[in-house]
Amino acid sequence: MHQRSLLLNPLRVVLGAGLLAALGLGATACGGSASTPAAASGAKSGGTLTVWYMDGDLTAPDQAAIGAAFTKATGAKVDVQIQEWSNINTKLSTALAQNDPPDVVEIGNTDVPLFAATGALADLTAARSELEQGQSWLPGLSGPATVSGHLYAAPLFAGNRAVIYNKKIWAAAGITSVPTSYAELTADLDKIKAANPAPDFSAFYFPGEYWYGALQFIWDAGGELASNGGGSWTGALSQPAAQRGLSTWKTFQNTYSTPASRDVDTKSPDQAALFAQGKAATILDSSLNTVLKDNPSLKGQIGTFPFPGQNAGTSQPVFLGGSDLAIAAKSANQPLAVAYLKAATSVAVQKADIVGIDGWTPVSTQLIAQTSDSLSDTSKAFAQAAVNSVATPATPGWATIESDASINQFFAAVATGGQSPQQAAASFDKHLDQALNAAQ
Amino acid sequence: MKSRRTRRRFALNTAATVFCLVWIFPVYWMVNTAFKPYGDILRPTPGFLPIPLSLGNFTDALGKPMFGDYLRNSLIVTGTAVIASSLLALFAAVALTRFRFFGRRTFLITVLAIQMVPTPALVIPIFLTLKGANLLNTLLGLALTYIGFVLPFTIWTLRGFLHGIPVELEEAAMVDGAGRLTVLRRILLPLIAPGLIASSVFAFITAWNDYVFAYVEMKDQGHYTLPVWLVSFSTSTGVDYGGLIAGSTLFALPVIVFFLLIQRRLVEGMTSGAVKD
Amino acid sequence: MPPSETGARRVRRVRASRTPYLLLAPAALVLGVIYGYPLVRLLGISMQDYGLRALFTGSSPWIWFANYEHVFTGGQFVPVLIRTFVFCVALVAGTLLIGMFVALMLGSLGRRMRGAVTLCLICAWAVPNVAATLVWQWLFEPGYGVVNWLLSRLGVFGDLTNRQWFASAFSAFVVVWLLVVWQSVPFVALTLRAGLSQIPRSYYETAALAGAGAWTMFRLVTLQFLRPILLLVGILSVVWDFNVFNQIWILTQGGPDGGTTTLGIWSFTQAFSSESFGQGAAVAVVSVALLLLLTAAYVRRLISAGEEW
Repeated sequence: MHQRSLLLNPLRVVLGAGLLAALGLGATACGGSASTPAAASGAKSGGTLTVWYMDGDLTAPDQAAIGAAFTKATGAKVDVQIQEWSNINTKLSTALAQNDPPDVVEIGNTDVPLFAATGALADLTAARSELEQGQSWLPGLSGPATVSGHLYAAPLFAGNRAVIYNKKIWAAAGITSVPTSYAELTADLDKIKAANPAPDFSAFYFPGEYWYGALQFIWDAGGELASNGGGSWTGALSQPAAQRGLSTWKTFQNTYSTPASRDVDTKSPDQAALFAQGKAATILDSSLNTVLKDNPSLKGQIGTFPFPGQNAGTSQPVFLGGSDLAIAAKSANQPLAVAYLKAATSVAVQKADIVGIDGWTPVSTQLIAQTSDSLSDTSKAFAQAAVNSVATPATPGWATIESDASINQFFAAVATGGQSPQQAAASFDKHLDQALNAAQ
Repeated sequence: MKSRRTRRRFALNTAATVFCLVWIFPVYWMVNTAFKPYGDILRPTPGFLPIPLSLGNFTDALGKPMFGDYLRNSLIVTGTAVIASSLLALFAAVALTRFRFFGRRTFLITVLAIQMVPTPALVIPIFLTLKGANLLNTLLGLALTYIGFVLPFTIWTLRGFLHGIPVELEEAAMVDGAGRLTVLRRILLPLIAPGLIASSVFAFITAWNDYVFAYVEMKDQGHYTLPVWLVSFSTSTGVDYGGLIAGSTLFALPVIVFFLLIQRRLVEGMTSGAVKD
Repeated sequence: MPPSETGARRVRRVRASRTPYLLLAPAALVLGVIYGYPLVRLLGISMQDYGLRALFTGSSPWIWFANYEHVFTGGQFVPVLIRTFVFCVALVAGTLLIGMFVALMLGSLGRRMRGAVTLCLICAWAVPNVAATLVWQWLFEPGYGVVNWLLSRLGVFGDLTNRQWFASAFSAFVVVWLLVVWQSVPFVALTLRAGLSQIPRSYYETAALAGAGAWTMFRLVTLQFLRPILLLVGILSVVWDFNVFNQIWILTQGGPDGGTTTLGIWSFTQAFSSESFGQGAAVAVVSVALLLLLTAAYVRRLISAGEEW
C-alpha cells in the first residue's frame, strides 16, 4: 500500500516518467518507424482496408483476385495479413477488443458463433440481400453466423474431406477399381498392407487425434456428437449408434494406420508429408495442395474418392468445414468492409477464384451445381462427398471443445486403448454437456 | 591407497561422462536434425550424423517472410529490457541498501511476493492495462512488460550484492571529495558488475523467449518478435520439423554464445548475490 | 558561519530523506503498471462475470464469489491441487538432488572434464524454453523419436519405438519432468558449485582432524555453509516449478483427459479455452494465495533476520 502513496506523489511520478521516457527512447524511436506502415493501413487514411486471412486457406493469387475486384468497385486498397492457426481464438479475441482492430477477418465456421454472439462483430443483417445476391448459402457456413435472426458474417468458402490415394501403390497391390463400399475399401487396404510390410508404412494413414475424420464413422453409423433438445445440448457419444461407429473407427485406425499414429494429430508428423514420401498409400484430407507442394512429381499419380459408407453405394457424411468473413464491430471502415465482403461472395469471384484457382467448394448450392462440370477429376470426389455433410453443434461453447483439445484427446484415448469407447464417451459426454451449454 | 584413489577418479570421470552425454544429447540432436535434408528427418531409424549435410532448413527458415523485422523487434525489445531493468534495479537496490526510510520493508516484501504470481494469469489484466494506457501494439509496451517481469528478481539480486559492499568504502571516497555519481561509477559499479551481468542475463532470457505476451499485445505482424516466428513453423497443414528445428537452433545460438562468453562472471554473480543474503 | 551551517545541514537532511524515494520511483512505477494495477484488475475480474462479451463491450457484471464457488465445488479443485503439489515436489527434489550431485562432482573433477561438464550445463541452460520444448516433442515422437529408438535398442524395456508417451498421465509427467529438470539443473548446479568453492578449506581440515567421516563432514560443514544458498535456490525452484506452464502446455495441453492439468494449466484453459476469464482469474488468485502460504516461512525468516531489514 505504501507503494501507492509513492506513486501518487506528483513530483515522483513526473520524475519517474521522465526517466522511463529517457530509457525507452530507443524503443519508441524504432517502434515509431515500425508502426508507420501499420498507421498507413489504419482507419484514418481512408483508402485502405486491413484484411486478415488464415494461413493455408486461400492462396495468394486468390486473395489478390478478391482484392482486385474490391479495388475496382471502390478504388480503395487492401492490406492483407496472414494469421497462423495456433491460438487463433486468443489472437482474434484480443485483436477485436482493441480500438483499432483489423477491418475484415476470416473466421473458421466452427468458431464464428463464439464471436458472433459476444459483440465482437458488426451486424450485417441490413446488408444481407446485397451479400446473398439471390443465392442459397450453405447452412453449414451461414448457420453459425446467424444469432437470433441477425447475420454477423458472410460465407467465404467451404471445404470437406475425401480419400486421397497413391495410384502407383494401389495398382502395385493389384487393385484396379475404386472401392464403392466400406467392405470393398477394407479388402483393398488388406491387400495393400500385405504388399507393404515396412513397419512405418500405412495402408491408410489415420492419426488418432484426427477428429474431423473420426466423426465421419460416427455419423455413418447414425450417431451424433450431441443432440439439441429444448434449447440445451446433450453429449450423445454414449448412444449405441455412436458407439458402433466409434468401435468401427478404432478397428480401422488400429488395422491400417501405424501404431505410431494412435496418439498424434495430422500435423506432427505431417500426414501430407508422409503421403508425399510414399509412407502412406492413402489419407483422408481436404485438398491435394500440400501433398503436391511437398512432392510435385506425384502430379497425375494421385486419385480421390469419397470415403465409402457401410451401405454399398453411399459415402460417409463429411464434416463441412470452411470459413466466413466478418467485420470487426469496432472497425472504422464499415461501408468499405461491406463492399469487400460483397466482392468475396460475388458469383464472379466465387466461380473464377474460389473454385477456379483454389478448388474450394463455393458458398451456395447454385454455385456448386454451376461449377461441377468444370471441376478436375481429383476435385470431383470432394464435391461428391460435400453433398452429404454435417456441421458441428452451432453454439459458442463448441469453440471450447476445439481449443481445449478435449476432442483430440477423446479420440486418441479410444485409438490407443487407453480407455474403452464406453468409458471415454461417458466422460467426454459430460464435458460436452457442460461446455456446449455454457453461457458466453 | 593409490589404487583406491584411481578407482575413485575413474568412477567420477565415468559419472561425469554419462552426465555430459545425457545433458548435451538434446542440444546435439537439435543441431543434427537441423542440418538434415528434408526427406531424411522422418525416418524410423535415426541417423546420428547429418550426412548428407544440408543447409536447406536454414535457408527455408531465414526465407520466411519478415524474418528481418522479427529479428529487429526482438533485438530492440530485449535490448531495452536488459538496459532499463538493470538501471532501474540498480537505483532501487541502492535505495534499499544505503538508506533507511519508511516503507522499505513493505517494498522488499512486495518484491518478494510478486515473484509468486504466475505470468499466464496476468495476460488479460496486463492487456487491459496497456490498452488503457494506449501502449498496445507498441514495442515500448512490450518492453515495459518484460522490464516489470524481471525487476523483482534483478532488484533482489543486486540488493544482495550491494549489501556485501561495506558502506565505509563509499564514505571514504566521499570524504575525499567524490560526488555520489562518481562513487557509483568508480567504486560500486566494478564491485557489482557480476551481479549486473547475472541480472542482465535473466532479463535477456525473459525478453528473448517470451511468446504469449508478444503474441497477445501485438496486433500487426510487423511488430511480432522471434518466438512468434518460431511458432509459425507449425501451421494448420503440418509441422515443418526441419524448419522448426533449424529455426530453434538459430534462435538459441545467440544465447548459447552469450552464455559461453560470460559464464565465469555469470556464476560469480548468481552466488555472491545469494551468499551475502 | 553558524546560520549557513545549519542551512546546509537542513538541505542535506531533506535530500537524504527524499533520495531513496526518488531512486525507487522508476522501479515502483513499472512494477505498478505491470504488476500492481493488473493484480487489482485480476482480483476484480475474479469476482466478475468476465467473458468475451466483457472484453468486446466492456460491460462485466459483478458476481462476487460465484467464480470461486465454481472453482471449489466443480470437483476438479482437489485432484488438480494434489497433482500440482506432487509434481512440484518431484521437480524441486529432482532438480536440487541432481544439482547438488553435479556441484559436488565438479569440485573433484580434473580441469578438462570440469570444462566439459560446465559446457554441457551452459548449453542446456541457454536453449530457449520454447525451442527446448519443441525439441523434446521431437525426441519423444512416437515412431520417429530418437529416445524411443535408443530405449528399444537397450533391450531392457522391450520395443518402445511406437511408445505413446503422452497417452498416459504418468508417462506424460515423466517426460515433462525430464524436460524441466534438464533445464533447471544448470542454474542450481552452477550456483551451488560457486557456493561450495567459497567454503574455506580449513573447515574440512579441522573436521578431518576431529575424525569426522565423509558423511558427517558433508552434513556439518558443506550443508551448514550452503544453507542460505540452498534456501534461496530452493525457494526459487518452488516458485518456478509450481508455475511451470509452457512445457506442459506445449507438450500435453493438460491431457490426456485432464491428467496433466496443474493449477497453471487449469487457470489458462478456463480463461482461454472456455473463454471465462473470471474463472481463470479465480484459479490464479487461489494459486497465488497457496504459494504465499507455502513460502510464508521463508519470508518470515527473512523478516526476522532483523538487521538485514
